[in-house]
Amino acid sequence: MKRLYRNAQIASEDSPKLQTADVLVEGDRIIGVAASITDATDVEIIDCSGRVLIPSLFDIHVHAREPGQETKENIATCAEAAINGGVTGFIMMPNTLPAIDNAGVVRSVLESARGTRIGPGIFTSGAITKGRKGEELAGIAGMKNAGAVMLTDDGFPVDNPQVLRRAMEYARDFDIPLASHCEVKELSGKGSMHEGSVSYSLGLQGIPAISEEICIARDIRLAEFTGVHLNIQHVTTARGMETINRARDRGIRVTCEIAPHHLMFSHEDVGNYDTHYKMNPPLRTKEDNAALLQGLIDGWFDVIATDHAPHTPFEKNQDFASAPFGITGLETALPSLNDRFISKGLLGWDVLVKRYSAEPRRLFKLAPVPIVEGGLAEFIVFNPERYTLFTRDFMKSKSINTPFLDKAVKGLIERVIYRGKELLVR
Amino acid sequence: MTPRKDLLDIASLTDEEIEFILSNAVPFKDLFKRSVKKVPTLKGRTMLTLFYEPSTRTRSSFEVAASRLSADVTHFDLDSSSVVKGESILDTVETLEAMRVDYIVVRHKQSGIPNLIAKNTAASVINAGDGWHAHPTQALLDAFTLREVFKDLRGARCLIAGDIQHSRVARSTSLLLRRLGMNVAYLAPGSLMPKGTPEEIPCFGNWTDALEWKPDVVYLLRVQSERLEEPFFPNAAEYHKYYGLTDARVQILRERGIYLMHPGPVNRGVEITDRGMDYEKSLINQQVENGIAVRMSVLYWLRPGAE
Repeated sequence: MKRLYRNAQIASEDSPKLQTADVLVEGDRIIGVAASITDATDVEIIDCSGRVLIPSLFDIHVHAREPGQETKENIATCAEAAINGGVTGFIMMPNTLPAIDNAGVVRSVLESARGTRIGPGIFTSGAITKGRKGEELAGIAGMKNAGAVMLTDDGFPVDNPQVLRRAMEYARDFDIPLASHCEVKELSGKGSMHEGSVSYSLGLQGIPAISEEICIARDIRLAEFTGVHLNIQHVTTARGMETINRARDRGIRVTCEIAPHHLMFSHEDVGNYDTHYKMNPPLRTKEDNAALLQGLIDGWFDVIATDHAPHTPFEKNQDFASAPFGITGLETALPSLNDRFISKGLLGWDVLVKRYSAEPRRLFKLAPVPIVEGGLAEFIVFNPERYTLFTRDFMKSKSINTPFLDKAVKGLIERVIYRGKELLVR
Repeated sequence: MTPRKDLLDIASLTDEEIEFILSNAVPFKDLFKRSVKKVPTLKGRTMLTLFYEPSTRTRSSFEVAASRLSADVTHFDLDSSSVVKGESILDTVETLEAMRVDYIVVRHKQSGIPNLIAKNTAASVINAGDGWHAHPTQALLDAFTLREVFKDLRGARCLIAGDIQHSRVARSTSLLLRRLGMNVAYLAPGSLMPKGTPEEIPCFGNWTDALEWKPDVVYLLRVQSERLEEPFFPNAAEYHKYYGLTDARVQILRERGIYLMHPGPVNRGVEITDRGMDYEKSLINQQVENGIAVRMSVLYWLRPGAE
């Protein structure tokens, strides 16, 4: 039995224009892409008029919370949340309990991942230092051999530059990228939001932009010195972005991530202590939003990554300073990017495909999944006109800590195809 | 005027509500001159104080205000044990909800706690100071005091001096005074001047510049050097010399007829000298007295169960 996705608009990283075509799928492969496919037999026809076919997404920054924090999320629910958002591959962060800081835990989380519907698409990173304490190097080579694809102490910077230098030298020789959560802890202090007019009026301790920017500059300098592939996570300020771009121009191996929420929201959205707008690094200014969006368009960001960070309602329903940092993102990213930017002509489909599907895979030496004849059938049927209402029932993540909770955005994921199988139909 | 359940900050008050609270405080204050200072307005109502941060003055002021309105007054003792045991604030609020009190007066070291409590209870929540955020009744009593001194607040100038960064008083009082037409400026060492202050507030780093701005009132803030977790200034003596109200500066205030205010309690020898405390144009005691009248007015204005 074949499936024919008829009259679809195909998105690719090569052109902002959508290509109208029929797409024929058999087994796990796309066996035909043409203006009109009429000669197929034994075929189920799916009318895709007005739908956009998007190569499935890959998110390199996901907190699956397993092991140890399964009240927030586990790998199985995280995988279902990912599918619900059109994401069929992701990289887990190691800030679990215990941390993913040795080969044993790496094997254990990967085994857990294999039991999900997108098992082969799930990868893990490992911690840079034991227990993410920033003191002793974690078992880097062992983790790599067990399958870890990136190193990071995400959630924390490695404070001690000597420890970071050693880690980078080691990571370089074992050819594994090292990702930095950039923050000078002393400058952030107990801050809970961007330091500026809103932190002033809410009386909250601020996290100044320099806390992030100084650490970005330091880590880049160390990357240049050691030659490691450095990935800067969740960049939030125009200045930080410019620093990274200049480094890239000088030939330093540095890549970087932008999170959708840092494009869409600013510190003003914190409003009346709404903890669904609390994340680290924090939401900055509207000027930063605009500069980051332009940076994304101009190719300054290698990848879009959500920093999907589930927390329970109980944890988030505290005063702003006490509530944990982070929001979920896997399920809301694509519809909200469409709603805020693509549907308004502010962002092209090519940028979305390149930065949230193709490049993240290339970064980890995985093959992208373009919608082409002979390619793997791994794509999303997206209706840009229908609305998604992010209710508790709609979301598959265990957690609902998102600014989009009970809000509607334009764009609905109608089908998710993974290796030829329709994992989601609505 | 729509009935209101809570008083959480100055920003959410309408002009009409501000006027209502301030003008009704006048007859309440007149009561204090009578031998029987009590009216039956809130008979049968209960006000509970929930202070996570000790403050004898503010708590007493609320308790006296409530008693003079014939409300029953009680306090929820937060021995550190229940906090240590991990009972969350919302657990506590649920307990209070079951007690069916009408007013909860909250003080907490974290900004936004009264907002959180207000969302989870039918009782009226009055913010008696949260973190660095707001202290609305302090602002109202300050405005009330200044209206007794100046016929018209419009155009008058108030210099707020001290630890602006950690001060809910600076934030609330400056907001209210500006809404009533006053000009407000800040004076603080750079390390205690917050980022993101409103553009309309001039920020000074020394007394010379600040006095050139020609304030009519100098509002000193308490410098809680013992509670600051980081070194914002080298020591209290140096703070006093450069940023405090020294005797020489009191003399300048005297020569220029500038009023002096302070939210209390005063740190003698740090932000002010002993002699400064005796300054004849000090409004500090008047502030305390007015605090009771204004808090009576707030209790009278709020409607438990509204919204």
